[in-house]
Amino acid sequence: MSHVVIDLKASLKSFWRDKSTIFWTLAFPTVLILLFGAIFSQSSIKYDLYIQNQDVIDGKITYWSGNLIDILNLTNAFNIQTVDASINGTEYALTNRLSSLLIIPYGFNDSANMALITHGSTTANVTFVYDQSTSSAPIVQSVVTGVVNATNFQLSKGVEYLNVEGLTIAPKRFGFIDFFIPGVIGMTAMTTSIFTAVSISARYKQNGIFHKLATTPLKRYEWILSRTIYNVLISYLGMAVMMLMGILIFGMKMTLDAISLLMVAMASLMFTGIGMIIARFVKDPDGADAAANVITFPMMFLSGTFFQISQMPQFLQTIAQVLPLTYVSEGLRAAMIFGQTQQALQNTALITVLGIASIIVGSLITKWEDD
Amino acid sequence: MVHSRFSTIDTSPLPLSDVNAVLKSEYYEVFGQETCPRDSWSVDSHVSVDDIENFKIGKSILKGHSCWGIYLSNNVAIDVQGLTKRYGELVAVNGISFTVNRGEIFAFLGPNGAGKTTTVEILECLRKPTGGKAFVLGFDIGKNPREIKKRIGVLPQDFYTYERLTVRETVQYYAGMFNAHPDVDELIRLVDLEDKKNVLFRNLSGGLKQRLGIAVALVNDPELIFLDEPSAGLDPKARHGVWHLIDGLHKKGKTVFLTTHYMEEAEVLADRVGIIHYGKIVALDSPQSLISENGKRNLLILKKTSPQAVPNIEKLGLKANYDVTTGDVTVHLNHTVGVSEVLHSLSSTGVPFGELQLKRSSLEDVFLNLTGVSLGEEEDNV
Repeated sequence: MSHVVIDLKASLKSFWRDKSTIFWTLAFPTVLILLFGAIFSQSSIKYDLYIQNQDVIDGKITYWSGNLIDILNLTNAFNIQTVDASINGTEYALTNRLSSLLIIPYGFNDSANMALITHGSTTANVTFVYDQSTSSAPIVQSVVTGVVNATNFQLSKGVEYLNVEGLTIAPKRFGFIDFFIPGVIGMTAMTTSIFTAVSISARYKQNGIFHKLATTPLKRYEWILSRTIYNVLISYLGMAVMMLMGILIFGMKMTLDAISLLMVAMASLMFTGIGMIIARFVKDPDGADAAANVITFPMMFLSGTFFQISQMPQFLQTIAQVLPLTYVSEGLRAAMIFGQTQQALQNTALITVLGIASIIVGSLITKWEDD
Repeated sequence: MVHSRFSTIDTSPLPLSDVNAVLKSEYYEVFGQETCPRDSWSVDSHVSVDDIENFKIGKSILKGHSCWGIYLSNNVAIDVQGLTKRYGELVAVNGISFTVNRGEIFAFLGPNGAGKTTTVEILECLRKPTGGKAFVLGFDIGKNPREIKKRIGVLPQDFYTYERLTVRETVQYYAGMFNAHPDVDELIRLVDLEDKKNVLFRNLSGGLKQRLGIAVALVNDPELIFLDEPSAGLDPKARHGVWHLIDGLHKKGKTVFLTTHYMEEAEVLADRVGIIHYGKIVALDSPQSLISENGKRNLLILKKTSPQAVPNIEKLGLKANYDVTTGDVTVHLNHTVGVSEVLHSLSSTGVPFGELQLKRSSLEDVFLNLTGVSLGEEEDNV
């Protein structure tokens, strides 16, 4: 065990002295969080908007409710999905984790007519049920509100006839950044672990460090254990920095639970194993880095790190389901945002199994020397 | 003769009732309370320390004699028997056999690709041989690599280590790997890196990196040190610094196994030289013996001399050539006619001659003679 401690100390000392590694491990994801949020808010993609129109009389959609849906459709900003009018909309949104649901209540048409007659002394209300923790919800809400305000303006030059009432289904303290940061924590665990494993395995072989280590009594498993612990510690460091930034800059209220810590450790284990496997098959260090990029980049963008998987085309959603980072990000989110312990545990268990399997395979196929 | 005490047996004396293993008398001697007469030894195969360890589980070494302790008074540090290493069709090492005595500097000489590094890496237990046997410090490389690794020091070709550890931290790191507690500052002083001890490895020059590599190879106070191309790629000053260090190790009684493709290095440092070519040992002896047996004759060059010198010298039974462009005469000396006879002959006949130059035959000539190629003809590393 003393060999593990000695090697771990040397690795951490080297990390501390390597400013570029510190940047890519800690500063880069931090900058990413700040930049990506800004870029993402200007995106022109279509968003899912669920609409439950309860204002149906004798199977016919009323004039005002139909009119509102048509105008929302005309904005071309939404993929509008219809929710059955007979069910409880808010519960449906909660159960299905919908980010945005517009409920047009029964009597909306009559209320709108009344508002017109009374010149706005009464209003016709629709309810916008949304998950504030999703990145799309604030955007959808602003478009829906904009449509309603534009309709008001057309009808009355500004008098409020129609009104949107907001109703959030996620606890208030969470916002987009709360959704985003767990994803970036997962992503950082992935990039740190894969690139460290790839870089070390390929480069140490090329520059002869493995050769020298092989001449000492240090056992291969001791070295792998040390490097895995190193990756876990660096991932934890990344996690701490991200959380600190969330708390200090974005005023987040975060709790750190055992499931999140276990998830990050197991994700590091898994990605370390994956990195070792890559390095075994692509022996040239530059080629190994490129191979690591080929694996990490798609995972970064397809695993729900930056935006919800449900916003992606169906075939990409299918791909996302087989990417391990998807389960890391969703597991961390379930633990840190939604408080969904069961899902967090399920994901953590899956990643633990994958982590142990990949580190075993990686360890078995990593050789210091070729016979 | 160096005595290595084999303490396991020393602490548990057992009656020697069954003979299942034997000692090779040339390599081992047995000492104990009772005299163990040599004629009672059954000598038919090599016995390594691994075999002696079997003693603990019931095997014994000498029939009818009990010994309080067995000391290996083994003068052989490395014993290689028919070692072969194949990579598919390529035979990198082709059935080589040799021994290296304790306390000597043994140089393994050959061009890149000759099989030097493969051989040394097999002896360091980094590669598995395809055939043959090898014993390092009495241990079978196939059976007990861990015991060997504990006892040897290795300077790999182009020593490299963690870039962001200082000289001192690097020595400490490797000492930790051996669970050894050397005087780190003393080791750093030994390789003359005192003023660099807080410099990161990445900021050291090639020569200093090799020096650090030597310090690292000594952290476990090894009995045997493998130095693989220790001065390759170094400038002459740095190379001489490394040679000085190796000579210092020799003086401390360490056994040094040196691989090199620098003739001068082998000639200056080695007690014995093994020349390997295409995986086979083509010569094995002291540098001087190799030169006298396989080298060319020494040459005497008479600068700016008259062509009349040639017939005079030829009368002495020596071969001589006149170079019309330089005006030099080259004389091929032999064992019977020396420089003084040549000069006396020229003086007595009034043939003028200027500056004299004597070119001694070297290992380079030996190598060229034995292999037909020059060491400078590089091949791919095997």
